[in-house]
Amino acid sequence: MTTHQKTVSLGDRYAETTVVIVTVIALLAGWFYKSSVENRSVAFESDGVSAALPAGWLRSEAEGDLIRTTDRTSAGFPTTYAISKLAVAADVTPARAASFQTHDRSQQLTGFRVLNQQTVLVNGQEAYQVSYVFVESDPNLTQADIPSVVLGMDYTLVTDGQAITVSYWADEHEFEPGLNRFNRFLSSVKF
Amino acid sequence: MIHPKTLQERKHVWRDEFLLIISLIVFVGVVYALDSALKPVFTTSTLLLTGVFLALVPAAIWLVFFYMQDRVEPEPKHYVLGVFGLGALLAAAVGVPLVENVFRVSHWIYADALTTILGGILVVGFVQEFLKYAAVRYSIYHSAEFDEPTDGVIYATAAGLGYATVLNIQFVVSNGGVDLGAGVIRMAVVALAQASFSGITGYFLGRAKFESEQIWWMPLGITLAAVANGLFNWLRGRVVQSGGISLTGASANPWLGLALAAVVALGTTGAVLWLVRRNLRSVQMTK
Repeated sequence: MTTHQKTVSLGDRYAETTVVIVTVIALLAGWFYKSSVENRSVAFESDGVSAALPAGWLRSEAEGDLIRTTDRTSAGFPTTYAISKLAVAADVTPARAASFQTHDRSQQLTGFRVLNQQTVLVNGQEAYQVSYVFVESDPNLTQADIPSVVLGMDYTLVTDGQAITVSYWADEHEFEPGLNRFNRFLSSVKF
Repeated sequence: MIHPKTLQERKHVWRDEFLLIISLIVFVGVVYALDSALKPVFTTSTLLLTGVFLALVPAAIWLVFFYMQDRVEPEPKHYVLGVFGLGALLAAAVGVPLVENVFRVSHWIYADALTTILGGILVVGFVQEFLKYAAVRYSIYHSAEFDEPTDGVIYATAAGLGYATVLNIQFVVSNGGVDLGAGVIRMAVVALAQASFSGITGYFLGRAKFESEQIWWMPLGITLAAVANGLFNWLRGRVVQSGGISLTGASANPWLGLALAAVVALGTTGAVLWLVRRNLRSVQMTK
């Protein structure tokens, strides 16, 4: 341990500020790069419905769905977007079509509860939004995992005797952070 | 200009760094062998506690070596511990939440190789290296105890090991404990990597304080450390997964990750040592 006179140089004087500036620039660049990666999409079109699916997600065609796409990197229950299409009578409203869907979900999903429902506009078109929750458990009884609480949201739109439901499912901790990305996906759905 | 008192090389600092690398490899080998031989059965809480204990070991090893050998011109031990604690605190309060919750890197950083590298440098690298730099710059840096360029390496290593300890504890807690064999390898890799990249920042900090460096000097140091950090994480992922994918699933070999970390740590420490020596020689020649 010694004492000394500190030499004040240009580097000493401004290093602190420049390091902060360079770090902020790097983090901003990182944020923009993150956004560009998250916004990467692949085009999907089937049965008159098109959408921009998130790139890198797993795609499947589950029963009753036109498309189902899953984020394999998400924690807990894998974040899932799905589009389903159902033929309905010409006079069926989005709210009525949504109630069919909600009834089906209540039969199929464990601990299903509707949290909120309301009429909204999606791309200028009337839609019915239903928010709900359910519990997802691994069917493997030897798996020592606590079941996941999953939040879901359905947007049901009706056009030309077809009810299109766009769904978002995510782990309760991932739902809110992923909502903006789902809204971009929802906006991309055309039929 | 450099202060005359700074014209000395504290050889034990480098000995400590090399001993840390070797000791960590020995430590991993011992825990791995004990785990394989005894196959201990843990409850959830004892597994968690054992994991947290193991997470503290790398920093403890370095601190023990440092205490034993720093006799000629000792650094105040409470300052070294304080910077270690500050590194840990910044990691827990800022670094981990920023990387995991704000940037949510695990959701996008593995999209492809370029993203892993760029995300690893721009987000993970810069956050970690800036915070370790801040732990030194805004605490001990202006103190009279920081009285030679090598102190930059000492205190930055302490901050890096503090950061590594929090990363390891967070890994243990978020997984509810870890498999002892693979877990202890991961902890050693994280500790070696964080200590190594801190050494780069520390070298730049040491020279920034005692020499008239240009305005770009310190940003260059942080950037180099962040680039090394990002490249290492990408390379480690490649090396660990190099076993390929078979019908029974992807095979990973964490030992390769440890070997890479040891090589990187040895290379980085050797490079910083060479730079410090070259710098001291050039200062002595100009006197």
